[in-house]
Amino acid sequence: MTLKPISKNQSFRLPVIVLGMIWILVSSEWVLAASLPPLRDPDRIRYQPLSFEPPRVERVLLDNGLRLYILPDKELPLVQIKAVVQTGSIYDPSGQEGLAELTAVTMRTGGVLGMTGDSVDETLEFMAATFHVSQNRDSGIFSFSVLKKDLDQGFDIFSKTLMQPSFAENKLLLGKDLKSEELRRIFDDPQKLAFREFGRLIHGESPRGRLVTQESIRTIRRDDLIRFHKRFFHPKNIIISITGDIESREVTILVDRHFGSWTSPEGKPEPPPLPQLPEGNIFFLTKDLPQSIVVIGWLAPAKRDPYFYPFEVLDFVVGSGGFRSRIFQEIRTNLGLAYSTGSFYSAKSDYGLFGAYVLTKSESTVKVISRIKGILQEMGEKPVPSEELNRARMAILNRFIFSFTSAEQIAFQRLMIEHEGLPDDFLVTYRPKIGKVSAEDIQNAALRNLAPNRAILLIVGNDKTYKDILRHFGRVTRIEATF
Amino acid sequence: MKSSFFFSLHRQLRRFPLIDTARLFSLAVLLLLLFPSLILSQGLGERVQRFTLGNGLRLLTLERKLSPTISIYIRYRAGAVDEADGKTGTAHLLEHMMFKGTQTIGTRDYLREEKIIRRIEKIGEALDHEKAKGKEAAPAALARLADQLKTLQNEQRRFSISNEIDRLYTENGAVGLNASTGQDLTTYQVSIPANRIELWARIESDRMVYPVFREFYNERDVVMEERRQRSESNPEGKLLEEYLAVAFLAHPYRRPILGWPSDMSYLDIAYMERYFRTTHAPNNTVIAVVGDIQPSTVLKIVEKYFGRLTRRRLASPFITEEPRQSGERRVEVSFSAEPQMIMGYHKPPPPAFMDHVFDVIESILTRGRTSRLFKALVEEKRLAESIQAVNGLPGARYPNQFVLFATPRHPHGCIELERAIDQEIERLKQERVPDRELEKVKNQIRADFIRSLNSNAGLAGMLSYYETLLGDFHYLIDYADTIERITPEEILQAARTYLIKENRTVAMLVKKPLNSIQR
Repeated sequence: MTLKPISKNQSFRLPVIVLGMIWILVSSEWVLAASLPPLRDPDRIRYQPLSFEPPRVERVLLDNGLRLYILPDKELPLVQIKAVVQTGSIYDPSGQEGLAELTAVTMRTGGVLGMTGDSVDETLEFMAATFHVSQNRDSGIFSFSVLKKDLDQGFDIFSKTLMQPSFAENKLLLGKDLKSEELRRIFDDPQKLAFREFGRLIHGESPRGRLVTQESIRTIRRDDLIRFHKRFFHPKNIIISITGDIESREVTILVDRHFGSWTSPEGKPEPPPLPQLPEGNIFFLTKDLPQSIVVIGWLAPAKRDPYFYPFEVLDFVVGSGGFRSRIFQEIRTNLGLAYSTGSFYSAKSDYGLFGAYVLTKSESTVKVISRIKGILQEMGEKPVPSEELNRARMAILNRFIFSFTSAEQIAFQRLMIEHEGLPDDFLVTYRPKIGKVSAEDIQNAALRNLAPNRAILLIVGNDKTYKDILRHFGRVTRIEATF
Repeated sequence: MKSSFFFSLHRQLRRFPLIDTARLFSLAVLLLLLFPSLILSQGLGERVQRFTLGNGLRLLTLERKLSPTISIYIRYRAGAVDEADGKTGTAHLLEHMMFKGTQTIGTRDYLREEKIIRRIEKIGEALDHEKAKGKEAAPAALARLADQLKTLQNEQRRFSISNEIDRLYTENGAVGLNASTGQDLTTYQVSIPANRIELWARIESDRMVYPVFREFYNERDVVMEERRQRSESNPEGKLLEEYLAVAFLAHPYRRPILGWPSDMSYLDIAYMERYFRTTHAPNNTVIAVVGDIQPSTVLKIVEKYFGRLTRRRLASPFITEEPRQSGERRVEVSFSAEPQMIMGYHKPPPPAFMDHVFDVIESILTRGRTSRLFKALVEEKRLAESIQAVNGLPGARYPNQFVLFATPRHPHGCIELERAIDQEIERLKQERVPDRELEKVKNQIRADFIRSLNSNAGLAGMLSYYETLLGDFHYLIDYADTIERITPEEILQAARTYLIKENRTVAMLVKKPLNSIQR
């Protein structure tokens, strides 16, 4: 670099003469702007109103109880299919944690009636279809994407995967081996490690908190998969969304042709009881790191709970609403003590989780925890100032439009509302209900849910940090990660 | 609205700006995988409009009416490679500083604030100089300067309003507000409701010329935390950093984007301003706007706000060329984590034809369950937990690398894995790729392209990436034909020329025993 350092003033002032010359090259209308009039206050820019009616998603109920959400969208020659199954790891039998996940994975890899797993893979990859499965706590999701021209052949494999998987023994073994290796490696990823243990602690004794271990994987056999599949994979327990380059009538016929004769058994598996708020405690997991990972959280309102809406705003204000949210502003911007920090609120129809997290260098762990606890406690002590509240509500209302950016997303939203058993008008009433949230609602929500003595606080950090925490907070339970 | 549950936390953790080396890599991979079918490409090529302002700024627009939203990418053709030695991390820290406001955003009285900022800079520099003396540093001077700095920082707070850029975007409904620094390019991206484009233009045109580096020293600490998170606590990050430092002897691709720790601790405002002025100029910028827009309206707004800015003389730094590699290089990293390895080869960057051939090789080796390395190492020999090839690391402005990442499955180790990978690479050099396998890979690349057209942000990202990197987004449009033409002989040739031992670097992470910690 040969450039000389420039004086501070120069670096921020444009030579106006040069500007004028350049301007001649641009349309004359703007030459007037060359004198650089002050820019408008960004808060005073006026916007045209935005109106948007999301396209209507068609709901179809087949005779056997299978539910479909259909939304054609002809922009690209693609079809996207998502099947959501009322299942999940909450139904893992005690001692066989991992069964739900291995069932889903082996459905995808272990072949279907008339085809080996390898042949399924070959066929799908040659037609460049993608097929992903994920097993969550309370749903199994099968996502399939195929070019329009291959829909018939692709759908045949997709439907057989759900209805008639073969569960080939060698693919189950592969799945178990890979899961076991994944467990061996969790300790290497401090964030994964922390959130896995936090998930266990926050759910107390509930089956929702049980973790997959080497031992639980070892006990799982092919018969267990077959039984699990039979229990959960049937038409009354599945909702499918189909979007893309399709006609509604044709696709209904296609689905009926493949799934129509599938039947459901009597009875419905009961989900395990909801988690109970555990006793508050401080937990410490030792790992030799230069940076601690801290998670603090509580059980929180469900989506059906009227406090859901205040909690959405509360979470935004506390730590998920961008750089200005309180935790981010204080811990990262003001103190420079973290790169990643903030809060999270995830609600289901029946319960929710709320918490805050931070990754900070070992020496600042105690300080950062104290600040975050202070910020959280303040939510119950003082009402959110009206300007801050208005801004949070405005942000949530304005960004709502991003829930509807593709046909796939729109249809899937509808599907999930039914899957979670939420009222049909959940999305319609969401905005008005957020708009009505008051500072008092937020304070009450915090008082009800964020009792300081009920907090689950987990720190993953080094030995020295453990001693600091012990000295400062007095009562700490050391835990070891279970794999 | 969040639809996913607790599992999304992980992503949430990583979502904050800014550089995401990993994310940037995966983006590069994705970008390189994409290519259009004939009909779509012609459609796309015609639908994208390109404008060049008098000051050299290039604008790409693409109208998509699915929802009243817009995604916008701004890319500067400048990144970590453009930093001077000893100043590594400047490009990335600058990207953080670009969120600190401007002379008209984030201030109550800029004239008074500016005076304090200059004093902060002076005291901060003096403090750094004293600190740099190490053991020789005078404790009294350190304490006095630190105290002065703190007083000035508090004084500045009376005149500044923190995080105003984020506040403006957020309350106007923006999502995906982010930025990233790569070796080659720096990117600022956001998605906004369709009626808010003027807000974007107001903010971005202002910070392209008049950013104010508020809270500089705090942010320097934030970036140190980022390093602890991404590299010092993270075995993948650590291994990749050391791998690149060995794979490149002389070219700046050898340096971490985050910077080396001792450089990062002493980054200064003066150099950052110099870097900024010679890189962040309209004539070094590409903007892509995709979504519910009218190109003529967008052009008008962009002219109004960005047309004001003057063309600047750009840095044309001499970049050290990487000398030809003359033998295998091996590096071992001792870390308390399960073993993993990286293995890579030098090769030409895009738009070279050879780079396309390596995109195909990447797919043949590791794309999907039927790819060769997945099949052999994960399914059949059961040696590996994962294996992934990536063409085009760590950048694409200069000759780059074809790299393999692999994790062995216990009780197997990296050496066994290396041998098995070697066998498959040998096969590429000896046997013609069967027609059906090649056709499969071409089908996949074509379908990936179609899928990538499904999002405003994805499109804006791709269009701006190629326009910035190669000077013409049409690379994307022509990509299909080029991939379609690739023959098994050309793959043989590429493998024989580049995938040779003398041209490769191998890095292995070796498990360090845990000190006094029970697993």
